[in-house]
Amino acid sequence: MIGKKLGQRDVVVLDSIPMLIICIALVFGLYLSCITGIASNNAMRYMIQIFLFITLGEMWNLLSGFAGMTSLGQQLYIGLAGYSVAVMTTKFHMGLGAGLAVGVLVSTIVALLLSLILFKMQGMYFSISTWVVAEAFATLFLSWKFVEQGSGMTIRVVPYPRIGEICILSLMICVVAMITVYCLLRTKVGLGLTAMRDDITAASAVGVNVFSHKLIVYLIAAVFTTLAGGIFFINKGIIYPENGFGISWTVSMIFIVTIGGTGTVGGPIVGAVIYVFLQEILARYPGWSNIILGIITILVILFLPTGIMGTLQKKLRFEIFSSKRFSFAKHK
Amino acid sequence: MYIIQTIINGLLLGGVYALLGVGMTMIFGIVKLTNLAHGEFIVLGAYLSVVLAPMLGIDPVLTLFVSVPLMFLAGFLLQYFLIGKAMKKGNEPALLVTFGLSIILQDVMLLIFSADAQHINTSYAVASIRIGELEISVLNIVLFIISISAITALSAFLKYTHTGRAIRATADDTDAAALTGVSVKKVYAIAMGISMASAALAGLCVGMKWTFYPSSGGSYLLIAFVVVVIGGLGSVPGTLIAGILFGMAQVIGGANYGLLISYIMLLIVLIVKPKGIFGK
Repeated sequence: MIGKKLGQRDVVVLDSIPMLIICIALVFGLYLSCITGIASNNAMRYMIQIFLFITLGEMWNLLSGFAGMTSLGQQLYIGLAGYSVAVMTTKFHMGLGAGLAVGVLVSTIVALLLSLILFKMQGMYFSISTWVVAEAFATLFLSWKFVEQGSGMTIRVVPYPRIGEICILSLMICVVAMITVYCLLRTKVGLGLTAMRDDITAASAVGVNVFSHKLIVYLIAAVFTTLAGGIFFINKGIIYPENGFGISWTVSMIFIVTIGGTGTVGGPIVGAVIYVFLQEILARYPGWSNIILGIITILVILFLPTGIMGTLQKKLRFEIFSSKRFSFAKHK
Repeated sequence: MYIIQTIINGLLLGGVYALLGVGMTMIFGIVKLTNLAHGEFIVLGAYLSVVLAPMLGIDPVLTLFVSVPLMFLAGFLLQYFLIGKAMKKGNEPALLVTFGLSIILQDVMLLIFSADAQHINTSYAVASIRIGELEISVLNIVLFIISISAITALSAFLKYTHTGRAIRATADDTDAAALTGVSVKKVYAIAMGISMASAALAGLCVGMKWTFYPSSGGSYLLIAFVVVVIGGLGSVPGTLIAGILFGMAQVIGGANYGLLISYIMLLIVLIVKPKGIFGK
């Protein structure tokens, strides 16, 4: 009886030693191709985008897909990161590293302060408030003389990092972000998070400390979003309030996570790769890109509600980077 | 005198802000959906009036007789055939579908109407009435009348008609309403239709008052959100009060700080009364 039940939902969790070796080899291969210049500048341009969008996607997925905190305001940390780098390099003539460090510091402080307000709210109220906070910061930066108001700031450092270096940096952040998410989900905190997402009252009744769990996730997401955002603007070289704090960042995060698969660690990888290439293809049809993105989003939601990764995992009965700590296959 | 002038201007504009929020609050309260496309619906309403007024050769306000039924129909069909389907899969998928709609509509409008700024011109756009030292813009009065009569009509519809009662019953308890013979699917579609019809009205108002672009939807959505959350989700009178508060903040703070004031106002309301002033 029990055996039959297990048989039907037989899931192979692919987290064994071979999987680890494949991952390490892949990361090492990508690293080598950046450092030796095997990858062309054009290829690296794509890779930077993909790595950073994976990071952003993983973080949004951690918030929304695993912890049930659907934020529409993660662009706040991207803007703060971009402006920290710009201010530190242009006004104080410091290096990019100092800029990123200050960005992380500022974001952490802002996230800590905001947690006091935002965590009082749930569901829709939380989503709306996060967006309003991001917009409030955009309005503030738009009228703040020190950051050149609406005319934006350029990031000036000598020597400017080569594209290979930026690529390696984004690869590193992406890998660290994924390891962090993966490890976090496999701890007790991870179990608590999914319990909270499914039913917050029940979770708190069985002893999950809702506030501290939320805070951990929110801080992790803020820090990595800051790092990814900072590198985006180092790569871009210029920041305005509109593109720093714009809702379009959240648009891409939502697209990446939905297409890839909400609540799966592998999903955002698939989503980010598709998103970056799709944008490149759609750039040839100016004016149509959002129409096509929107139609794809709606079709995926209606017909593949668990995203590409989620559907594949269900159909082929496997899981990669699973947050499950056991595999049914072993019990056979 | 300055204070009275400010209060009057804020009050008159508040009607428009309330109108922006009212369609959204209906969807929140009845369909239990966060409609991220509401801003684009408003812009669409504005463009409809821009196109219809010269085509039919009538005053922009009269285009409402065409645009409101059109938008109602569009909302009804949209909810019946698309959003309703997504809602069966859960809250998040429905939210994302409206989000998809919003980016599609934005680019469709960009393709059709180009990125140029648009404005709905009227003969009374710059006229004003003087009462003593007070100067009141005729346009603001027209906008206020449109907004208040629309909101009053909606409240009366919800309160006194059979369909209105069915809608309120569904909002209170979907299962119980279904048991007494209410077609929930149809009620949701009607609610979305009303919401889009109100967006047509709101679109006309913002189009007459300010310039707009195909990409303006986001800022209207944000205003609608702020007004709706301050007022309490699903509360029509709350939306009216919140709209007026929002209007005051805009007039006192000016273009830039007005928004900042209202954001801070929203956060304070949420901290003190997390479900809005009139929230249940």
